[in-house]
Amino acid sequence: MSLAARIPQTLKQVRPVLSTDHAEAKRRVLNLYKIWLRQIPYIRVDYIKNNWSEIRLRDVIKENFMRNKDITDLRVIDLLVVRGQMDFVETAEIWRQQHNAATLDSRKDTYKKKPAGFLERFYEGH
Amino acid sequence: MSEGILAKVGQWFKIMRHYGGIKNTVLSLYRYDDLKTGNFIGADKYGNRYYQNTRYFVGRSRWVQYADRVGLDYDASQVPPEWHRWLQYITDDPPTTTPLKKYPWMIDHIENRTGTSQIYVPYTTVPPKIQSWQPPTPSTTTQNISSTKSQLQ
Amino acid sequence: MSSVQLKRLLVALNRVKQHGYIPKCKQSTAAAAQPKKEPEKIEVFVDGKPIHVEPNTTVLQACAVAGVEIPRYCYHERLSIAGNCRMCLVEIEKTPKPVASCAMPVMKGMRILTDSPLTKRAREGVMEFLLVNHPLDCPICDQGGECDLQDQSMAFGNDRSRFTDNEFSGKRCVEDKNIGPLVKTSMNRCIHCTRCVRFGSEVAGVSDLGTTGRGSDMIIGTYVERLFMSELSGNVIDLCPVGALTSKPYAFTARPWETRKTESVDVMDALGSNIVINTRGGDVLRVIPRTNEEVNEEWISDKTRFAYDGLKLQRLTAPMLKNRDGYLVPCDWEDALSVVAERIGRLGNGSKMAALAGRFCDAEGLIALKDLMNQLGCETVCVEERFPNVGASIDLRSNYLFNGTIAGIEQADLVVLIGTNPRYEAPVLNARIRKAFIHNDLQVAVIGPKIDLTYSYEHLGDNTNILSDLASGKHAFSKALNGAKRPLVILGSAMFERPDAASLYASAAQLSEKLRDVSSKEDKEWRVFNVLHRNASQVAALDLGYKPDVKSIIDLKPSLLYLFGADEGLIKREDLPKDCYIIYQGHHGDRGAKIADAILPGAAYTEKHGIYANTEGRAQQTHVATTPPGKAREDWKIIRALAEVCGASLRYNDIDEIRERIEQVAPNLTRLDSIEQANYFKQNIELLKQHQSSFHNQPLTPPINNLKDFYMTDSISRASLTMAKCVKAVDQQLKSQHRN
Repeated sequence: MSLAARIPQTLKQVRPVLSTDHAEAKRRVLNLYKIWLRQIPYIRVDYIKNNWSEIRLRDVIKENFMRNKDITDLRVIDLLVVRGQMDFVETAEIWRQQHNAATLDSRKDTYKKKPAGFLERFYEGH
Repeated sequence: MSEGILAKVGQWFKIMRHYGGIKNTVLSLYRYDDLKTGNFIGADKYGNRYYQNTRYFVGRSRWVQYADRVGLDYDASQVPPEWHRWLQYITDDPPTTTPLKKYPWMIDHIENRTGTSQIYVPYTTVPPKIQSWQPPTPSTTTQNISSTKSQLQ
Repeated sequence: MSSVQLKRLLVALNRVKQHGYIPKCKQSTAAAAQPKKEPEKIEVFVDGKPIHVEPNTTVLQACAVAGVEIPRYCYHERLSIAGNCRMCLVEIEKTPKPVASCAMPVMKGMRILTDSPLTKRAREGVMEFLLVNHPLDCPICDQGGECDLQDQSMAFGNDRSRFTDNEFSGKRCVEDKNIGPLVKTSMNRCIHCTRCVRFGSEVAGVSDLGTTGRGSDMIIGTYVERLFMSELSGNVIDLCPVGALTSKPYAFTARPWETRKTESVDVMDALGSNIVINTRGGDVLRVIPRTNEEVNEEWISDKTRFAYDGLKLQRLTAPMLKNRDGYLVPCDWEDALSVVAERIGRLGNGSKMAALAGRFCDAEGLIALKDLMNQLGCETVCVEERFPNVGASIDLRSNYLFNGTIAGIEQADLVVLIGTNPRYEAPVLNARIRKAFIHNDLQVAVIGPKIDLTYSYEHLGDNTNILSDLASGKHAFSKALNGAKRPLVILGSAMFERPDAASLYASAAQLSEKLRDVSSKEDKEWRVFNVLHRNASQVAALDLGYKPDVKSIIDLKPSLLYLFGADEGLIKREDLPKDCYIIYQGHHGDRGAKIADAILPGAAYTEKHGIYANTEGRAQQTHVATTPPGKAREDWKIIRALAEVCGASLRYNDIDEIRERIEQVAPNLTRLDSIEQANYFKQNIELLKQHQSSFHNQPLTPPINNLKDFYMTDSISRASLTMAKCVKAVDQQLKSQHRN
């Protein structure tokens, strides 16, 4: 058997996680997105301390989805969808605490970044 | 003790005589929120005066009027040990009648310096791993690092 | 491939390059030059495995070739064979008894059994005898964990002893000796391997240690209580297979398994001895040698080994600026850098600025400082040690390197030392000369004072005329000199401080070139001319274009002087204009910090990744063993930050980028652990011809001529308490009745 004949065969044998084609994957992603959007009023109440407006929360969800917009691998997309669902359940069931939910929002990220400039790093001792 | 008004007025005069005039009485009331009369037992070298009135029950019958120079900054730690023992009923003999034995190793009493610049700070008994170079200084006084910022050229 | 990936790949490749995966260029040695007829190899069998070895090897070495390690105590590769510990007994077929393999030469067809029952029993017996008198004080012994006796009794010994009847007689007791502040003795533990005695008499060249008595009454010691007066004395600590000789400053501080080991390079002299720094919790606990056949074999000097406690004393831990009263007070980096930058900015241009680099500066700091100074318009960037401006001077690397290489001494047959005392300027190099003197019949001649170099030499005198006499062939020694096949001329860098340094240098170079003409018949690549430097930073500084001329700074009358670890006190406050602003960057409060107006605390050699080039031009790097104390920072980072505050731009942000910059200026410095060949002797001689020699009458005396002055020579060793104790001990020894 020639090498060329062997390669497509191995590619075919990769087992799909959930979706078999891009259309299906897209449907799953959109479904997840819609669930999140429908949850917005409840998230605002459940995590009231985070003080999210409805518009902001919509942006936050969009931002989180758009972060992975360049991924084309079906299996990766599927796994991200699964993880998104898990995140959703954790948020909807209020298994998260206020500060943990805040990590969804990049603006509320409190992690202190290391300074980028040489001089600032020098003063800090890095 | 009589309950009459006259007796109370008499008491007022007694107190004022004890404190030496209206001004001193008011000042003392201002400092201690209390006016007591009693026998003057003695004074220590820091200017604190000690009184006793056995008409009050034990626990209130001995008291100190702190030296005038401390004003409102009086503190129980200003009482030297020889008076402390009398004041706290450890003994009934004030140091005026039975002075404590003085040993050469005894140092002067100092009050608690917490909150002042001479505060006692416990030091570590572990020697530092790295010993810094000490630049030549005019004296051994410790310089406050933060204040040097304004002194920079 | 994206540009990011490409950059990552390039960085990785660069790292590979830096870590020395480049073929080493060695001086072509005698082996290559002499196509002598190889003696026939003989075949022996180690545990049935046939191997071929040279005729004169011992059984122990033959086993090593076969990959079998024989246990030993007294045998050591670099010492003569004693054969007194008996631990290396092996069975050889057709011999009646087990034989001591370290002393037995191989014979044809010998069948060596290293694992036979007889061998095992022999080892067990020897272990048992050694342990009869060895105290069971492993828990309080400093050798515990790195003790040969401990390891080998676990591996080869019996699990019990038959000598249980010594409850009344006890074990052998020997009085502990006081042999100085460096080596602690605990003579009960001694197993009489005599490695220390042999080291003293063979390598260090001092006969202080010896044995008295015989049998079980044998005692190792100095006979009368006296100091082990050697600059290499610390090495007996590593040699001792048990805990009889241990390090006094390290006593009871740590166990070997607790310490973190960092492989690094020494900077106390210009030899760049390879060392391992043992640290625990940010504390340098000890320094031990690392084997490098090309540089230090496995020895290091006492200053290298014991001056580390100076790294914890007198340190600069915070930036300092002068307050209104003119006293230095600690401050923040922001304040220090802005005040210094403001001072630099006030000058307008750099023409009235100068910089001086000291002996501990790494190549990274040196290049950063030079770049900064040049960008500010300052050209007076100097290094402390001087070099004569004659001929091509520092433009040709071969002029200031130890061209013959340290390992090359072993191929040499004649060494001429001019104005140098290698015993105290580079003790390990002196041990190498002594080794060649003993094993290769190396002839040594000295121009300088009559000093004890631990080997005998031809003393040619100490005045400058001798050089010209030698060159012209008038001197009595010329005949021997011209007959030499592989001569080396070693010129001490201390001689460059002399007023007639140029003439001295020129005549030494001319003499070397003359000898090279003769020797090139034997070996074309043989290089005769060598400079023995004293400062670890010198070669890198010259490679990077520093001026070896301190006087030019004084002549400039600078308004701002940047001292980069310059602690020799060559420039005094009085030499400078009154309003001169002095910035000191370094790690110790020493002579430099005392005259400074601003202090920027840097890192010592144990606290940074730094490239140092040794006197041969071999680039080696130190690694971070501990972090710089307090607010101290790595040196090049300080200069890089200062440049940013000044408004100058140094285009490197990390260690890889600064090494790229070093590679642009001096590529040899980034080729670690290799020697870049330097030639152009002829061209230099052509240029030297124009030089008119004029000599001074002053004798050619190197600055350090006795052990007492050897210990405290730089800011680290001056801060060290151990070194101060050594000075005191030597002083006392010289006053004592047993001084000789």
